[in-house]
This record gives sequence, structure tokens and C-alpha cells, in this order.
Amino acid sequence: MKVSPDYYDEIFDFKGEWDMPSSCGLKIRSLDGKPCVIVTELYQDNPGTSVTYAGKKLAEQICEAKGLNLNEIIYVECNPNTNSKLSFYDEEFFQVDFNADIQHRYRQLDRTEVMKMTAD
Amino acid sequence: MNTFKLKLIYPKWQKLRGQTTFNLPPHGPVAFAATLPEWVDVSFTDENVEPIDFDEECDGVALSMMLSTQVKRGWEIADEYHKRGKLVAAGGISTMLHAEEMVNHVDSVFLGEAEGRSEQMMIDWVNGDLKKIYNYMGNMPPIESVGPCRRDLYKRELYNHKGVQMVDLFHASRGCRFSCYPCAVSYLGGRKFRPRPIDKVVEDMAAIDNNRLFIVDNSLAQNKEWEKELFTAIAPLKKKWISHTIEDDPEVLDLAAKAGAWYVYQAVYDTSDYIKERVKRYHDYGIGVEGTILLGLDNQTEDDIKRLIDFLGEIDLDLAEFTVMTPFPHTKGYDDLLRQGRIFDFDWNHYNAGQVVFQPKHMSPERLQELYDYAWKSFYASESQEQKMFRLFCNVALREMEEGTYRPRDRRLANKSFGRDVDRSVRNVNL
Repeated sequence: MKVSPDYYDEIFDFKGEWDMPSSCGLKIRSLDGKPCVIVTELYQDNPGTSVTYAGKKLAEQICEAKGLNLNEIIYVECNPNTNSKLSFYDEEFFQVDFNADIQHRYRQLDRTEVMKMTAD
Repeated sequence: MNTFKLKLIYPKWQKLRGQTTFNLPPHGPVAFAATLPEWVDVSFTDENVEPIDFDEECDGVALSMMLSTQVKRGWEIADEYHKRGKLVAAGGISTMLHAEEMVNHVDSVFLGEAEGRSEQMMIDWVNGDLKKIYNYMGNMPPIESVGPCRRDLYKRELYNHKGVQMVDLFHASRGCRFSCYPCAVSYLGGRKFRPRPIDKVVEDMAAIDNNRLFIVDNSLAQNKEWEKELFTAIAPLKKKWISHTIEDDPEVLDLAAKAGAWYVYQAVYDTSDYIKERVKRYHDYGIGVEGTILLGLDNQTEDDIKRLIDFLGEIDLDLAEFTVMTPFPHTKGYDDLLRQGRIFDFDWNHYNAGQVVFQPKHMSPERLQELYDYAWKSFYASESQEQKMFRLFCNVALREMEEGTYRPRDRRLANKSFGRDVDRSVRNVNL
């Protein structure tokens, strides 16, 4: 279940739950004049907390490392395609609003939005 | 160092309705107890088989919890001890999964594996300096440091059903290199398979006063060479054992059978010929199969689930265990369902894998619950779970008789089941 490096520009190491050493894929693009931070779950290559469980703590660490303002970014979690036979490992992108309640925090992006966001 | 009297408790949980309850001696508490220094005098209570004596004299209390359905009871127990002025620490799998909440209910939370670490916690406790968190997550001790469990703490007569001793739980490895959708083991024990040294496994296993074991490792099928070495080494012990999946390889299966494989838990996730043949191959080597069937995954429609239940009748399973998809924290299942806003119940008492706590993709939660109930009833319609268990028990007893290791059941406990009297009265049935 290796994640293709096409999903990220760099591996970002972060402190997960209880400071567990954790890793995710990271891409930062500009979208509509705003920095768009795309974090990708690395599954077997992430020794610690998942990007979704780490949530805002991960976003804060990325912002601190990259000099970004959490309130001024578009934050997206990517569930990468791992070419698994299981549908649970298909590609999905979710925009995250950390200020929303749990039922409204995640919005799945459609194909057009993903293409626009990830276009180099 | 003066003796510190530690009350170690394994909280009870609500068993699934309609299923035969077998209380096995829990592994976590005695694995933890084995890591404690000699000056800690441990008194162990498994609340599933005996009540807690809250007034038993002790210097401190430790909760060992494995299941999500234990954590709220653990918090109640902590409250009781707080009323008595006692400090309470918590550890174990579900403490790690629910740590963020656990810190609000107990005085100290121990995260990670305890070998080589618990002594410092106890020294702090004695010195009145117990820390709120002992965090060893992701920092595994050397696997060689894992020693034999403190099985002397068990009250053996409480893990006995009508004179038959329950299996002892045993672990030959930790960690898991797989990242399965509903499982948190890779988060808890690391994504690296960590086998124990074979000589330690043999020594530990040989010392257990029980001929029947459950090797609780997540999956033995993680390193074929180690697996072969393990089975070869334990064969002379003539133990009989249950385990999770074994490598699908004729040589490994043959060695497993010779090493005493009694029956295995095998996931049945579709109706393919592969599954049918996989079950048959186990049987060809005299190894029984308990199918584990997870219902409510996103790729299952109602028809798929019904087909899967019908399929079980065709593959000659010895036992079947049905569960509904449950989004335990720190699993991919949790992340996915959380993102999709589909988890509607966060009451951990309901996270027993028999109660639907999320919105399934292809049906209502109520319909999935019905199908789950139907699956149990359907599979055990012609022969009850206890009867099927008895059949497996007879298989192993015969093998033990052939090998001269059979121990007759303890007649003194023939009228007891897990410490309680067995009701053998014949009831009138109104026809």
C-alpha cells in the first residue's frame, strides 16, 4: 500500500497524538489567491497518527513550519489511491473547516475542484 | 523500597446479547503486572467474573482496559476510588485509543508498552509524584524484554465452565505490518512486525499450566520463515492452540497442524472460490475455522450481505462470528466515516461491534442491525454456538487423548460456570 509520490512535493514530519512521530505527504499550491495546503495520508509509511486524527494540530504545525496563517489557508486532506482492490483506498479529497462542528467540518471535493487545485 | 499494594482491575463490559459468553483470562493486566518491580504487591480483580471489593486495602489502583466498551465503566470505578481517596492509573489498548478523554477521569495515564517503563511510574507514585501522563507511544521497548505474564494472579476457578478450563491467552509477537481498514493495531503496536525470540516464546509457553492456548497475535502470517520456525519449535510442547490467520502455504499449514493448531479465525469477506478453498485447505490439515464476518462495509449492499450469509453454509465453517463495522478511533474506518459525517453515536459503551453507530452507505442503520441479528440466527439455526463449540472441543480432546496430554474436566467445578452456580433445573415448557 505504497502511496505514489505524485501526491506530494515533500514528506512532512509532525508530532501526532501524544507527540508520536508521524509523517504525511505535503503539497502547497495557490488557489484563488490563497495558499492551498494538501496533506496526504501515507498509511504504512506514516508511523504515527493519521492526518485526519491529527487534524488541526497538523495544520498548525505546517503553518508554523511554512510561515502560513491558519486562518488564511485552504486546507485539504487527501485519501490517496493506493491501487488497492478495496474501495476504501480510492482517491478522495476533503476540504476541512476547523471552525465547523464535526458533522460539517469536511466537504468532499468533486473531480473539477480537485483538478483545479492540483494543477501544476 | 517498602511494599506498595496495587489493586489491578479489569473492568467489566456488557456482553453481546444472544451470544454464548465465555470469559477468558485477560492478557493485558497480567502482561502489565509482569513488568512491575518486586516491591509492588499486586491484587488482581477481573470484574467480569467477580465483584470489586472497593474497600480492600491498597495503596493505589490501576485499571487495565482492552475494549472501548470498558472505558466508561473504568471511569465509574475511578470515581469510586477517588471517593475513598485513592489515586487511579489507567493503561492498556483502550486507554491508548481513548487517551484524550481518559486523562479527565484518572490521575495517571500510561500510554504505550510497559516493559522497562512501569518501575519509574511506581517510584513516582511512592514518592507522591505520580505524573499525569507516561507517554511511550511510538517508542517500543526491545521485544526481547517481553517476559512471561503474571498468570499466578488469575483465580483459575473463575475461568472455568462446567469443569472445563478456558484457554490461556498468549502472544508471540507485537505490532503489525498491515493497515487494515477497521483495525487500530498498527497505531497501537506500531506498523512493524516485532516477533519475540523463539526461545523466549517456547520457554514462556511451556511454563503455562494449561494445554490449550489462544495465540492472540494480530496475524501470524507476517513473516513466513519466523512462522515456520515458531511452529517447529513449539510442536514438542504438544499444546493445542487457537490463532488468527496462518500463512496460506502447504508447508506452513502442515507445520501449524503438527504444532497443535486447533482452529483459526479467518476473515470471510466475500463469496469467492478463494475463500472457499482457503477454508478447505485449513480443514485438509485438520485445522478448524471460525469465520469472522464484518458487516456494513461500504462495498456491501443488502443483497451482498444476504449472499455472504448464505455462502457460509456452503463452506463448512466450524464457527462464525459476526460483527458490524465499528469506527474505533485511530482506524482508517474512523477517519473515513468521520470525514463523511456518518458517525452518529460516540457513546463508547455502544462500540461493541454488535451495535450500529454509523450511517451505512447502502441501507439504514436499523436495516444493518436487522441483518446482523439475522446473520447470527441464520448461522446457528440448526446447531447452537455452544453445540458447535462442543464439537470443536471434542476434536481437540480426542487429539489430546491420542497424545496423552488430555486432562479430564475438573468434577469439583462441574456445576460452576465462571464462578457462578449452573442452573441445571428442568423448566416446564408451555407448548
